Amino acid sequence: MAMLEIRDLNVYYGGIHALRGISLDVEEGQVVSMIGSNGAGKSSMMNAISGLVKYQSGEIRFKGEPLSTTANKVVKAGVCQVPEGRLIFANLSVYDNLRVGAYLRSDKSGIERDMKRVYEIFPRLEERKNQIAGTLSGGEQQMLAMGRGIMSAPDLIMLDEPSLGLAPLLVNTIFDTIQEIKSMGKTILLVEQNALKALSVADKAYVLEQGCITMSGPGKELLKDPSIAEAYLGKSAE
Amino acid sequence: MQYFLQQLVNGICLGGMYALMSVGYSLVYSIMNFSNFAHGGVIMVGAYVGYFTLTALGCPFFVSFLLCGVGSGLLAVIIERLVYSPLRKRHAPSLYFIISAMGASIFLENFVIAAIDGTPRNFPTLFSNSINIGGISLGVDSLMMIVVSVVALLILMFIIQKTKVGLAIRACSYSEKASTLMGINGDLVIFTIFLMGGVLAGFAGMLYGMRFIVRPTIGQVTNKSFVAAVFGGLGSLPGAIVGSVLLGVMEIFVASFNSNLRDLFVYGLLILVLVVKPSGLMGKVVEDKA
Repeated sequence: MAMLEIRDLNVYYGGIHALRGISLDVEEGQVVSMIGSNGAGKSSMMNAISGLVKYQSGEIRFKGEPLSTTANKVVKAGVCQVPEGRLIFANLSVYDNLRVGAYLRSDKSGIERDMKRVYEIFPRLEERKNQIAGTLSGGEQQMLAMGRGIMSAPDLIMLDEPSLGLAPLLVNTIFDTIQEIKSMGKTILLVEQNALKALSVADKAYVLEQGCITMSGPGKELLKDPSIAEAYLGKSAE
Repeated sequence: MQYFLQQLVNGICLGGMYALMSVGYSLVYSIMNFSNFAHGGVIMVGAYVGYFTLTALGCPFFVSFLLCGVGSGLLAVIIERLVYSPLRKRHAPSLYFIISAMGASIFLENFVIAAIDGTPRNFPTLFSNSINIGGISLGVDSLMMIVVSVVALLILMFIIQKTKVGLAIRACSYSEKASTLMGINGDLVIFTIFLMGGVLAGFAGMLYGMRFIVRPTIGQVTNKSFVAAVFGGLGSLPGAIVGSVLLGVMEIFVASFNSNLRDLFVYGLLILVLVVKPSGLMGKVVEDKA
């Protein structure tokens, strides 16, 4: 049984059919990537899982149980989204941002341990822990958003476009961190436009086009697929 | 000198009362982005609770004071549930909230007129003596008002800055979506800010009644505390407090010069702030780097 199972999920915004009966599985301990162009429905899927968007039909099951459709209960169940555009709390210090991440937890020692771990992964955040988060650079804000996600101690962490708007060097750092988060034993659902990177780290990947899943398979295999190469990697397969 | 200091104390006294009211505006504005004009009604009901618990029930001052907080706190929460909550569920635009708030305020005024009556009432004299500090005689009631305001505001600041609830409120004031994604229950945060704002409004109502008079229209005084909140920077708690105290002191000095200029000055200041520096003294200017 997969950790996250989505079956025949449909999302409409008024007359727009954003997700057209998608189904997918995320196995425990894996990195699952979803690639697709702008407007394909990637964020809609994330927000439907997170309870920010109501879905009209279909089923989302987490660890075998139906997942709540109320956003704060989804977090409680162990699913955390690191949203597109980071959405860090620019008015709070870096440290307070991480504390908000641990909002639902009351295990003091566990929180402290995870805080240490976040500072290990992102030493920059420790250097700036008392700084107001709004003064961080874009890359640092992404690190903070991911650190904040880790602080909620999720079993499944969903990253929405973590590389968006970052310099190439920083993109590499972010993808290295994804591997590190995986090695912490977390399951990762990654939504990305940077298909090359997303497929390289993925155990399994899905391609989303206009609200439908058109292809799926191990990341390495999709990377070699000629139609993917042409549509998402900007080159013909060699 | 004596006169100056006495007026200064009067100003701080008035400012402290404004502060108790304006933080309610600021708390709601910081989370929900609208000016809760029903706040005036909540303060007025607080003053009536004070009046009746003192006169009809014969409660001692502090009991009556606490009951004002309880009554107004409950009323604020009830207004949120009955009026704003349905609007929130529909994602109505801010304008709907403002208009509903004004409606609630007028409703409360007329409800009190219908249920009790419209005659002005005087609080019984609670503290008539004054004390002498360095040749300056200060009324005990003024000092009491200042102490009570300061203590209540310090407790509020402590809750906002140091507790987990406060952390959730601060997070929510920046982004409701992001705080929801961190597991914060937005409804609970909104309940909390209305409760806290309402309790302080009740205290303010009691103090206002002690100082001036109780009648159904006293809620209009909150217009001035709203000016104070705008002056300090709407949405910022320290801004609301600093703005209130400054406004109170300035207002008293203007009034001692010529009492006809009093409201002219206050509302002139409102327009000036909105034209010149809409973010007020301490309005936050932080940007999210997308």
